[in-house]
Amino acid sequence: MVTKRNHTTSLPSLMAMVCGWAFLLIACTSKPSAVPAAFTETTDSLAMYPDYRDVTIPPNIAPLNFKVTDASATEFVVAFAPAASQEPALVCGATDDGKIDMDSLAWRQLLTDAKGRSLTVSVYAHRPTGWVHYQPFTLAVAEENIDAYLSYRLIEPGYELYRQLGLYQRDLTNFTEKVIYENNRAFSDEDNHCINCHNYQAYDTDRMLFHVRASHGGTIVTHGAEAHKVGIKHDSILTSGVYPSWHPTLPLVAFSTNKTGQVFHMKHAEKIEVLDEASDLLLYDADQNTVSHIFHTSDRLETFPCWAPDGKRLFFCSAKMPQIEGEYSPMKVALRYDTLLYDIYSMPFDPITRTFGEPQLEVNASADGHSTSFPRISPDGRYLLYTRGDYGQFHIWHTSADLWVKALMDEGERPLAQASAPGAADSYHTWSSNGRWIVFASRRDDNNYSRVFISYFDREGRDHKAFLLPQRDPDYNALLLKSYNVPELTKRAVQVSVETLNHVVYHTDPEPATYE
Amino acid sequence: MSKRFFRDLWSGYIALLLFFLLMWLWASWWMGDTMRIAYERSYVAPDAMLMHWLWQKPLGWLWILGRILLTTYHWPIIGGLLVAILLTAGSWLFGYCLRLPISWRWLQFLPAGAWLIWTAHVGLNLFYMREPGRILAIPFMWVVVLAILALFIAIYKARHRSYVVLDTPKKELSRRSMLTGDLLEILVIAACFALPMEYLTTRHPYMRPLTCMQVQLLNNDYEGMSRTAHKYAKLSYHQMAGYYAIALARTGHLADQLFDIRLEYDTIRAYDYGNQPVQCLHYHQIDCNYHAGLIRAARHRATEELTLDGPSLYILKMLAKISLVEGDWELTRKYLHIIGKAPFEGAFVRKYKPMIGRPDLVQADPEFAAILRVLPPYHTFEQFYLRPSFVGFYAQLKTFRNEEQLTWAAMACLYSKRMPEFLQLCRRFVGSMPPRSIAEALLIQSYKDPSILQAFPQLEMLQSRFDLFVQDAQPYMQDREAGATALFDKYHGYYPYYYIFGNLRSSRKEESKEEGTGHRNAGIN
Repeated sequence: MVTKRNHTTSLPSLMAMVCGWAFLLIACTSKPSAVPAAFTETTDSLAMYPDYRDVTIPPNIAPLNFKVTDASATEFVVAFAPAASQEPALVCGATDDGKIDMDSLAWRQLLTDAKGRSLTVSVYAHRPTGWVHYQPFTLAVAEENIDAYLSYRLIEPGYELYRQLGLYQRDLTNFTEKVIYENNRAFSDEDNHCINCHNYQAYDTDRMLFHVRASHGGTIVTHGAEAHKVGIKHDSILTSGVYPSWHPTLPLVAFSTNKTGQVFHMKHAEKIEVLDEASDLLLYDADQNTVSHIFHTSDRLETFPCWAPDGKRLFFCSAKMPQIEGEYSPMKVALRYDTLLYDIYSMPFDPITRTFGEPQLEVNASADGHSTSFPRISPDGRYLLYTRGDYGQFHIWHTSADLWVKALMDEGERPLAQASAPGAADSYHTWSSNGRWIVFASRRDDNNYSRVFISYFDREGRDHKAFLLPQRDPDYNALLLKSYNVPELTKRAVQVSVETLNHVVYHTDPEPATYE
Repeated sequence: MSKRFFRDLWSGYIALLLFFLLMWLWASWWMGDTMRIAYERSYVAPDAMLMHWLWQKPLGWLWILGRILLTTYHWPIIGGLLVAILLTAGSWLFGYCLRLPISWRWLQFLPAGAWLIWTAHVGLNLFYMREPGRILAIPFMWVVVLAILALFIAIYKARHRSYVVLDTPKKELSRRSMLTGDLLEILVIAACFALPMEYLTTRHPYMRPLTCMQVQLLNNDYEGMSRTAHKYAKLSYHQMAGYYAIALARTGHLADQLFDIRLEYDTIRAYDYGNQPVQCLHYHQIDCNYHAGLIRAARHRATEELTLDGPSLYILKMLAKISLVEGDWELTRKYLHIIGKAPFEGAFVRKYKPMIGRPDLVQADPEFAAILRVLPPYHTFEQFYLRPSFVGFYAQLKTFRNEEQLTWAAMACLYSKRMPEFLQLCRRFVGSMPPRSIAEALLIQSYKDPSILQAFPQLEMLQSRFDLFVQDAQPYMQDREAGATALFDKYHGYYPYYYIFGNLRSSRKEESKEEGTGHRNAGIN
């Protein structure tokens, strides 16, 4: 069970909602509802946000509400017609605000009927001189659904500090967003804490985890509707567990443990550098509450572990520590920020003996002066999806960061040119459980606030133009002052309740993991 | 007209009218700038999504209400009028509900007086690191509660004719006690006006000049800022010094007037989010960094404040301007969109929206042009810049965009008394007469290195004053704090005075304890 975000349930919100609906009702009465009989064609470029032109969408996605901007227009009409038909299957109108708010049921029917085919979308604007018709665009409706639930963290894109943040779960088939866990809304020295790195086992919500930092610190591990707090710390572990990856079948989690520093650019294309001064890999047994090192090295940095879908290989990123002249200091490492180049390795894992084999180089990005992060293997095991940037591993703040894919069978590597946006950070990607959809965070909208984008990955391994996670109000993203962080798809809704998580976070002590 | 009529008029209305007028004066003139800055540190918009973060906090609805009322301080005279109405109405209702006899009528003003004293007591915490909505939400709710109570009383009174609120006790009073009551009423009204003023001046002497300079900055009145700083030259606070430095930088007087004011920072009374004493060293940092061309550092701090305090007009406007300077057009559009949702902010949006995608318009804007002139000339990290930030230039700057930037870096060294770095920078001045403070500093250094006099022969002209200063300073070399006070009037603005007697107390410990340290490492975002 999860709780709806409070703003949808509190009494004043309810009143606001009633007022909103009343307003909407009044507004709706003046919306045009039919394709204009007479119009002229215009060659003007269609200004729409989000840009849903010529994208491929899942047949179970929520309505792609969007906003059309045409300064002189007072009304808008949008018509969706099957590609082979002239007759529109769905017609929506908007007043001068240009916001197209589609009926959910009609939209669902439209997509069901159009599965595996394309829709032609025609936009009409009513200008003082009469109706004009923009150049139509297409929406391709894929055969394959996307997993219904998307979890993410909402956090201000701050530099060092945090305040209110939370983990949320969006139902992708509609606009419902529910709270998984939120930290304290009111400031309190005793209660202030950060939460991060939520992760699920094999697209299911039976087992999940996330970290709590500062007050009430620990790692929250859930199993079904139960949760408990563990402390993955030991004298020989650098910090605690950081980037996690659940083994697909065993109660095991591979963690990185990172000692991190930050520097801030004063004149540079990037704003922030987050660097690992040291990092290792850990293996945590959630049932036994034991932890051991996978790697414990001083001359190399290892991070971003990721299990292969069969659980028989572990992928990770690794870089050589930079050469420091004289005495070591974190600032000296920071000054060499652009020499840290991470490659992707994998190593075999024996689930019975729980031992690892020799690492094998998978992506040699450093060879051509680049760096990789965040390896993710497609559910069919054929593709390795990763972020490639000019240097380092904190690619969510790097404008050079793009999505790349490697076909594990033929060893070819290529950029996902359709899904990625040049000059904007694209990262924190994940596959859908059927391998046909890629969901990732990107700062392409404004180069500052990361948003969730979805791209179709077809059976031939081609990526398609990515589209922004739809919202009921197309202005939502323009007004939201938080970033979407680490989007993760799951087939089911999170089972543990907010109340249980609140209790575990606030009222239980972390159970120390035994170091082996 | 009978005496009774005038008495009723006085006791019923004149006293309230006097109170109302004094409160209007207090709230619009005395506190006008402070409340205007409180308004800038607030944000409210008729949009459920934008206000959701505040709505979810305990009493969030009340703080939103308070923020709505605070928007009247877009024009301090209107905001002051609202405050005067609230306080007067609250006082009358309080007297009405308590059925106060005339001789005790002075009591009705005490709750308002308590609120006035509170505003003076909290100082910067009126809005900084605290919810600004509470400023007006408190008197508003007080009036609402009393109005409801008064309504019940009025209904009860109407149903029970024998219940008389105002007239009955008055008839029973002697002339003497009525006169005493009148006198007390006048005294209390006067005290409500004067005491908060005196208390604020004593407890937080920086509040009015500081917020006055901030309002002047909003209006680009740099000369006015400089005048305000000179007027309060003996008050010494980091924040005032920061805004003074901005004024000097903008008017081109940084190198000859920086040391005109006392730079021996006194402790301010403020508390952080966790109620720990704090010196609010970040208070002015965003403005200072921005005007010093350190826009990345300004963005850094503004983003942190947005994270900690939620959106405010001040932060959103700053981020919008920084985004324009950096050419982040879509980000500018976003911030302007949000600012435009707030009431009365259309002018700001209309001014800056046309600049989106137009670097030529950005460069033509005088404020932006001044900032663009002093952007960091090459890549460095924020950590390498000096503290405090108001002249905190990178002391090891090797190349400069222009002489202005060189001067600022040199002044940063002088301020922090880093003479080796200063001398490195001064090589650029060889062959010309350096600005006043720089020349005075070179003269001091020439005693250690006589070759300086060969490079700058013009320094000879400054020798006589320096000799006089050395003579005057001699008795105080063992007690520099006493010297700082004794010689201020004669030597303020003179660099050797600052070098020997200025900025004696280190602020480093305070800086390390600065606000927000309990929220570090947000991690991946």
